[in-house]
Amino acid sequence: MRWAVPEAEFVDPGTLGCQGCGGALSMRLVLKEVGDDAIAVLPACCWSIIDGPWPTHALRIPVFHTAFETAAVVAAGIKAAKRRQGRDTTVIAWAGDGGTFDIGLQALSGAAERNEDILYVCYDNEAYMNTGIQRSSATPRGTWTTTTPDENPEPRIKKDIMGIIAAHRIPYAATATAAYPEDLARKVRTAMEARGGMRFLHILAACPPGWKVAADQAIEVMRRAVRSRVFPLYEVRDGRHYTITYRPEPVLPIEEYLGLQGRFAPFGADPALVAAARREVDDRWAWLEEQHERSLQPATT
Amino acid sequence: MTPLDHVDDYPEIPVSLGSTRAAIKTGDWRSVRPVEVDRTAPCAFACPAGVDVPRYLDLIRLGRLDEALAVFAERNPFPRITGRVCPHSCEDGCNLAAATGDDPVAIRSIERWLGDATAQIPLPQPFEATRRRVAVVGSGPAGLAAAYYLRRSGHRVTVYERRPIAGGMLRHAIPEYRLPSAVVDAEIARLVDMGIEFVTGVELGRDFHLDELAPEHSAVFLATGACRARPVGITGEHLLDSGLEFLETAGLDLSIGRGMRCAVIGGGNTALDVARVVRRLGGEVTVLYRRTAEEMPAIREEYHHAVADGVVFEWLTLPRSVEKGEAGLVVTVEEMRLGKPDGSGRRRPEPTGRVRQLIFDRVFSAVGETADSTPFPANLKNAEGWLEVGPGGATADEMVHAGGDLVTGPATVVAAIAAGREAARLIDRRLGFSDRWASMPHQPVVGPDEVNPSYRSSARRTSDPKARTVDPLGEETLTVAAEAVLVELERCLSCGHCNACGTCFVLCPDGAIRWEEDGPVIDLEFCKGCGICVVECPGRALVLVNEREGPSFDGTSGASSDGRTSGRHGNGEAVLSKGGQVNA
Amino acid sequence: MPERLLLTGNHAAAYGAMLSRAEVISAYPITPQTMIVELLSELTASGKLDATFITVESEHSAMAACVGASAAGARTYTATSGQGLALMHEMLHWAVGARLPVVLTNVSRAMAPGWSIWADQTDILSQRDVGWMMLFAESVQEAQDFIIWSYRVAEQVHLPAMVGMDAFILSHTAEPLIVHDQSAVDAYLPKFEPIYALDPEDPRAYGGLVNRDHYFELRYKIFEAMDRAGELLVAAGEEFGEVLGRRYAPLEGYLLDDAEYVIVSAGALTSNVRQAVRDARARGIKVGLLRLVAFRPFPVAAMRRILAGRRKVAVLDRNMGPGHSGIFAAEVRSALFGSSSAPEVFDYVVGLGGRDVRVETILEVLDDLITRDDPEMALFVGVKGLPIGPIRKEAEVLR
Repeated sequence: MRWAVPEAEFVDPGTLGCQGCGGALSMRLVLKEVGDDAIAVLPACCWSIIDGPWPTHALRIPVFHTAFETAAVVAAGIKAAKRRQGRDTTVIAWAGDGGTFDIGLQALSGAAERNEDILYVCYDNEAYMNTGIQRSSATPRGTWTTTTPDENPEPRIKKDIMGIIAAHRIPYAATATAAYPEDLARKVRTAMEARGGMRFLHILAACPPGWKVAADQAIEVMRRAVRSRVFPLYEVRDGRHYTITYRPEPVLPIEEYLGLQGRFAPFGADPALVAAARREVDDRWAWLEEQHERSLQPATT
Repeated sequence: MTPLDHVDDYPEIPVSLGSTRAAIKTGDWRSVRPVEVDRTAPCAFACPAGVDVPRYLDLIRLGRLDEALAVFAERNPFPRITGRVCPHSCEDGCNLAAATGDDPVAIRSIERWLGDATAQIPLPQPFEATRRRVAVVGSGPAGLAAAYYLRRSGHRVTVYERRPIAGGMLRHAIPEYRLPSAVVDAEIARLVDMGIEFVTGVELGRDFHLDELAPEHSAVFLATGACRARPVGITGEHLLDSGLEFLETAGLDLSIGRGMRCAVIGGGNTALDVARVVRRLGGEVTVLYRRTAEEMPAIREEYHHAVADGVVFEWLTLPRSVEKGEAGLVVTVEEMRLGKPDGSGRRRPEPTGRVRQLIFDRVFSAVGETADSTPFPANLKNAEGWLEVGPGGATADEMVHAGGDLVTGPATVVAAIAAGREAARLIDRRLGFSDRWASMPHQPVVGPDEVNPSYRSSARRTSDPKARTVDPLGEETLTVAAEAVLVELERCLSCGHCNACGTCFVLCPDGAIRWEEDGPVIDLEFCKGCGICVVECPGRALVLVNEREGPSFDGTSGASSDGRTSGRHGNGEAVLSKGGQVNA
Repeated sequence: MPERLLLTGNHAAAYGAMLSRAEVISAYPITPQTMIVELLSELTASGKLDATFITVESEHSAMAACVGASAAGARTYTATSGQGLALMHEMLHWAVGARLPVVLTNVSRAMAPGWSIWADQTDILSQRDVGWMMLFAESVQEAQDFIIWSYRVAEQVHLPAMVGMDAFILSHTAEPLIVHDQSAVDAYLPKFEPIYALDPEDPRAYGGLVNRDHYFELRYKIFEAMDRAGELLVAAGEEFGEVLGRRYAPLEGYLLDDAEYVIVSAGALTSNVRQAVRDARARGIKVGLLRLVAFRPFPVAAMRRILAGRRKVAVLDRNMGPGHSGIFAAEVRSALFGSSSAPEVFDYVVGLGGRDVRVETILEVLDDLITRDDPEMALFVGVKGLPIGPIRKEAEVLR
């Protein structure tokens, strides 16, 4: 094996993810680095299903299934109890974009502000996929979903969850995707090393049915998200110090990311959407480069 | 898990009781199945000898050099030789280059390194002795290769060589700076160690005749090469030196000094070799060629080296006469232009009538070589007097076979090796032995649109480092370092061959690919058939097979419980040849 | 040695959590509960209580944190009131479904709008069907003791429990409190040892997707557990008396022996009922008091036995049940239904939004009870301009 990714598995097969599920893969890869001294908290999300129907489950670590909006705080509660038992078990809150950007944001913010010693992972498939593709605040502008139909695609830009998280000044936050497994693995390792406080991973996870891509294109589409700079890979320490961890070269035209996915059909009908998306991506990248550059400077105060 | 038939079977706390592994067989969801299968790589397909490049590269990476050598020797027993002089059409076929625009994998450099690193390891040894004897006439690459494969088949082999020392063109035509004779000696010594007998200083047609071999030998392989220089056919021909002879004695030719003005007539490998030797000996040299660089038959790389050496080229220049003048040899040349393509597909040079004169101290002829057919009996020759040779080197005489430059005219070492090997196969079969040799790589070849170079190495292509030597004819490059080989190996996509890179294992969303000691095993009990492993496989060593229509490996219609189906774990060739729908 | 202090109901609740050795406490401030978490914060900060205090951003999260900590094997406690309890609702279900013996104190307050922080039991009774055990404290002492009692039973049956306490009337009223000796409480309430706690060495999934094949059985077990809790409450109440000197039971009777009329109430209101009963007895009325201590599990059998053969029963409901009666009355009527000797049950809705329910008010209710023939669905007491009586019909309103 030539990947710097552990061989050990902590997810049994028999999971109920759709074919080509980016969320299922993300869990596999994250747990490889986390190991088995861990407990996962799953709010309502695709993973509520993927883990398998009672009385079975797939993860080789304990799982607590919880209400949609409570992943972060239930994890904090579990962590408090385990710490009292003298155990430094890693507690992972594993939530989708709905459970993070939307309904779970309050509890997430609370946990982040208290700097709870948990690893929060948002696997972001950019809509409510488990309920059948409804828009969330993680849905990019111009996207088709069942609640933002072709005639009225998502009108607003995707919420900047990393910005929100960074504003809480937690020790470590990073973006990652399974299409870059070693980058992802390294970030999980870094997050594990930053134990003691809140760690946040924002993982882009392709959803073939929701994104309208062939199952076998799931990795390709995530890779293109990175290569087109739509989903930059970076990390933020203490909410201030930015490091871009991968600079695509050459940068893929955004059309090659959009064009692969049926959910972006509205872009085909409206070239202005493409131009706007390109501008957003460029602005965001320029801003990240500025932050990266600034973070390299010695502190002045 | 206990069956939950009664409320009392249920736990008080609603926690799970077992793993999905036992209860949920997601393999049921599948309509297509990934199958690991060895497919032909374009490099192997492009190689005249059909060397299975991905497989031996994989073995080098694993540090199993003796196995790598064995794989190589299945098709070519002389990696030390071809690793130095081969025009490496394998690299021209490289999918990495075609799919990405990156430089192709430096296969020849790796091959050379393998040859040198395994120089002390015996070649794969003979199978059980057959008590048959086979004669090989000529000890150039075709003769040596045939001798090796015949000996490997268990036959007793005697090689007859007209010169006092074996090696043929390898020793006498390829300059020392490209292929040191010490390397040729070592390779021949290995053949001697295998029990191949060499009889030197005996020439067919002079010292013995073909029919004299019959009583002692079950078969004969003729590989006497193309060693007769073609005349230029101009006035003053007698003033020209033979390029071929010059190459044979170059190390001893002290007449060429610094500043001596030389010309070489021709555009083939001999011409360039002569030109470069002259440069090495301190002379100035101009190549006179009647066409342009485009049409030159010489190995392209050698042309670039020649330019780098300071060789001057006069294109579209056809010598018409040579005469002695006061300042030296006066060569009258006519300027040519290119017309319509000729039989070789190259544009034919046509005279323009414009002539000029050039002055040189020495002029070498190197416009090509032909075989010498005089020693062969008439019944083996065609109307033009050439040997008539069919597939596998068969001639009109069941016992006599021929190959190499003797048959093809001047060609590459690797082509001669391939011819020797194919002839050995045919002889082996004709002697009544079932074919013990893998067939040549066949279509379909993994195409550049099938590979996935997304995770390719960002390393730059390696190359053989320049040697620093005081000997002007000493080997000009060094063998790459082992470290460089390891880096270069990572650049290979391993088209059509699973080299256990782990991409399929890492990227399977469903954990349906197990990682075992020697690589991935697809667990068909759980594989959902998403196809990610297939499209992400860098070298497309996996294909998708339709569950309904495709063949199955265990002879049943359903999924087998174990994905050990191919390539790394078995022979997957069967899959493709069964003709089932391969939806790759 | 037990300590005798003068404390409010809120502070007593904090002491109850401390004596129970709650390990993880998570709460969010809301009037009139806030003093509980303030004191628990102090006790934790000072080291008097060895607990982890998670100051969350909402009651929903407070209950979620307790759920998580409890699932991981910690004894957990929270306190809330009114809107906070309503916000917790979803996670109250979660604690039950996951079978987590969380204990909470709810300082009952009226629901908004309009904003009201005053006593009213609609908040807690709105959680009637989530599957929590529910106890109603009448005194500061009970505000403390019921927490200990709750843990004892909750942890045996793996169900959560809430202790109700009326806003201000109890929460902010100081009374003498016996703070039990810690070792005596420890003897009564052993360490929390759940059947299963989240543990990487035994990796199981808690909850998850339960299909139609299994959901019913898992829920049936909750019914059984709640039924068992009824018996255990009685036993644990007796034992409380033996170990800690105060005996508790799901129902408490007062002057019931010869009572023809019985007033049923729950919570702090009961103290005034007690006085009214004494006053009425002085006037020769044979009246008694039946206090509902445990609302869930509801002591149906005991109530049927106690109320059998009485002439009339008045239930005091400081809560809302629009479209039906007050909630306690509905429960009492339901418990008595089908009994041949069951008395008529008159439902008196009183004191919504913290309006005083004085001894005199209760005596008026008693007079009404004695004279009224038709119990109607519910009778309203103290609505300005209206006598005690049922909801007006449309015709009356128009007139």
